[in-house]
Amino acid sequence: MVFNSYTFVAFFAIMLVLHNLPISWKAKKVNLLLASYIFYAAWNPPFILLLWLSTVVDFFVGRALYTQPKKAKRRLLLVLSLIGNLGMLCFFKYGGFILENFVHLTNVLGIDFHPAKPNIILPAGISFYTFTTLCYTVDMYKKKSEPVKSMLDFSLFVTFFPHLVAGPIVRPPQLVPQFEHEHKATRQQLLDGLLLLSLGLFMKVVCADTLLAGTADTFFGSGGITGPLDAWAGVLAFSGQIFFDFAGYSTSAIGVAMCLGFILPQNFLYPYAAIGFSDFWRRWHITLSSWLRDYLYIPLGGNREGKFRTYINIMITMLIGGLWHGANWTFVAWGGLHGIYLWVEKAIRDRPVKRLAVTANGTHVEVVETASVVPVDIPRKRPKSFPYALLTFLLICVTWVFFRSPTFTEAWRILHSMVGQSPPSGPPLLATADLIKVGVVISLMLIFHWFMRNTTVLKTAGKMPWWAVGLIWSVLLILIMLSQQTGKAFIYFQF
Amino acid sequence: MLLTYIPGFLNFSLMQTQVSGKSAILALVLVLLFFTSWELYLRHKGVTPDYDDGPELWAHFRGKVYESADKQTVFIGSSRIKYDLDIATWQNLTNTNAIQLAMVGSSPRHMLTDLANDQNFKGKLVVDVTEVLFFSKRGNPKPDEGINYYKHRTPAQRVSFILDKPIESSFAFLNEDKYSINGMLGSLHIKDRPGVYPFLDFPVGFELNMFNRQNMMSADFVADTNQHNQVKAIWGLLKGDPTPPMSGKPLDSVMQSVKADVAKIKARGGEVIFTRTPSNGFFLMAEQHMYPRPAYWDRLLKETSCKGIYYADYPAMASLQCPEFSHLTPKDAVVFTTALVSILKQDKWLSFNTAGTK
Repeated sequence: MVFNSYTFVAFFAIMLVLHNLPISWKAKKVNLLLASYIFYAAWNPPFILLLWLSTVVDFFVGRALYTQPKKAKRRLLLVLSLIGNLGMLCFFKYGGFILENFVHLTNVLGIDFHPAKPNIILPAGISFYTFTTLCYTVDMYKKKSEPVKSMLDFSLFVTFFPHLVAGPIVRPPQLVPQFEHEHKATRQQLLDGLLLLSLGLFMKVVCADTLLAGTADTFFGSGGITGPLDAWAGVLAFSGQIFFDFAGYSTSAIGVAMCLGFILPQNFLYPYAAIGFSDFWRRWHITLSSWLRDYLYIPLGGNREGKFRTYINIMITMLIGGLWHGANWTFVAWGGLHGIYLWVEKAIRDRPVKRLAVTANGTHVEVVETASVVPVDIPRKRPKSFPYALLTFLLICVTWVFFRSPTFTEAWRILHSMVGQSPPSGPPLLATADLIKVGVVISLMLIFHWFMRNTTVLKTAGKMPWWAVGLIWSVLLILIMLSQQTGKAFIYFQF
Repeated sequence: MLLTYIPGFLNFSLMQTQVSGKSAILALVLVLLFFTSWELYLRHKGVTPDYDDGPELWAHFRGKVYESADKQTVFIGSSRIKYDLDIATWQNLTNTNAIQLAMVGSSPRHMLTDLANDQNFKGKLVVDVTEVLFFSKRGNPKPDEGINYYKHRTPAQRVSFILDKPIESSFAFLNEDKYSINGMLGSLHIKDRPGVYPFLDFPVGFELNMFNRQNMMSADFVADTNQHNQVKAIWGLLKGDPTPPMSGKPLDSVMQSVKADVAKIKARGGEVIFTRTPSNGFFLMAEQHMYPRPAYWDRLLKETSCKGIYYADYPAMASLQCPEFSHLTPKDAVVFTTALVSILKQDKWLSFNTAGTK
């Protein structure tokens, strides 16, 4: 079930009524759990079995990990859990990819091996709920938090429908305590949640699906041999589409949960206003990047084992982060490119540079300071630091070429087209209306991100006069309904 | 260390804010006011509610092809058969259902292959041929979108379709082609660079789409020659397509593929016939020039060993005039359908359960 569908509207209305009935908290939790299973089964009912399996195994393994006194046994349990969770993910998500690469390797070695192509359907959101359960078992192994007491609470933690299929990726301490005591939305939470849901749907339905998806699909579907204007418009359109699509989902999910009285972690903080790439990863898919930091980068050694290992650890983290998104080497390249950006940024930041400083009595002295992509004397969000944010955005757009292209050949063709090095194979591709849409939406997006980079929507709405909020809210709803785009899947569902 | 800057947990600052209930009420009132005014304005202009002819509606009817052959006939083709077959007339005269699976602007070969590969389809199939689309490369993604949607329809999408039907039948503004944001932007006719594929802005009354997927021209459109000329001008734009007609090996390959698909359906006891619906004016001249009948239509029937009804061979159909050269008016669709049923019954080219037919 997707948020932007009539089915969800009906489902959510029923959920709101059920959740506000004068019944026991346990009954409400059972309602929420059943509703979450229905929400998931509405895609493909058989895959609910995988979800159950993952939930049951991790609940019991988690408890055993916490209570088992013998280290060897705890290790064995952890390995079993990791094999179970990652094995399932590997089979469904990477099975075809692994086989394809294995066949390629054997053929290179001269072995004639041509197995039948596996027809594996990817269960929606498997990467998200696998990461959710993985962090629980690892936390139990490290005894970072206490095991969840009831199977009902644990099932709800894994399955709670707003975050189930596309995040935000939640940690046990963020959500489980909220299930321990009765949670019902206050009037304020309901209003805030509905505003966030409207905003999320606006981002998905209007900005991503209506205004940008057509241009991105036309361009990337053309094979990429175009003039630079079409190429940049296509790439910018996808850069906007992927943000609005995914951030739209996260905003809707947070809004839906809030309407029921629950708080989910924030997943996006105006990422296209980032100044530099570490800043970008503090703002883009925050729950995934923090997961990768805590469960991959730090266990690898983080920055504790010297500069060289730090660089390697950053790259490993980004490559695996890339592969998490999809079973294709282009996703790995996307992660790798981000890794290189982070390397360069770190190298510049770590390099001590000498600058002249003016002392109190007016004389110039040489001082040593740490270099950075962003000069250290530029305070956040000064107009003159905007070009750095713009540069960051443009370099990130380059990475999206690998993310969106099905093959490296096509990605290179697009990059060549962007710099005018690929003679167009035919007439211009995109209509003027498409170019205008991309220009206007991307410009407004960048301006909006820049001015909102240190605040939140609800904080801003809280400072505005009520009639202005009402007016803006009505515009969002009118545009959602006028776009007449319902039921389109979110891009991140395929991850 | 770069990644450690990433905050692990959300600051719960979302809860520290205030959105007023008055804002919500104002938003609701404004939304209701806007859509009431918009709907009244469109109704005043003569716009009536219809259905978006998207993959959801197509998939709904694609799922109905499995009834026994004596109860229904499936139609595939391009836009012409969607206008020219009057489904009510067909059902009245044959006492069987007509399942309309044709898709506007696309080749029916996609659907033919889909049905041929579906072991459970054993029914009667009418394939309408618009040469320029039938004998084209499979470039238009619409049929594949529809087929793909049908094959992967989720339970949630089925429920959404059921909920959507009464809503879409009640509001004229729910018309994606005309009154969605993209539809309205397209109708602004912003000048494109030379060579860009144009936005095809058909008049509102030209392409009303019923729930049974029959297309109809509105009475206003039928009466308005200016609107006919607007559509003719769009056909004129398409004349500029430099792609030559398919011939040689690609044509042989298409013939082989159609032959194989037809053979699969016949082998299961299904029946297949081809139709060529009317066209006139410069459209017909271009079609006759680019796709001479012996080389395409006659060869198609010969290769597939199927019967075919070419409108020009039958006096009751030959004189029908398409106001914009390519599709029949609702009134003439009744005439065409009556003639079609009459020919099929007379020549016994499709088997009908005669009990209760008129």
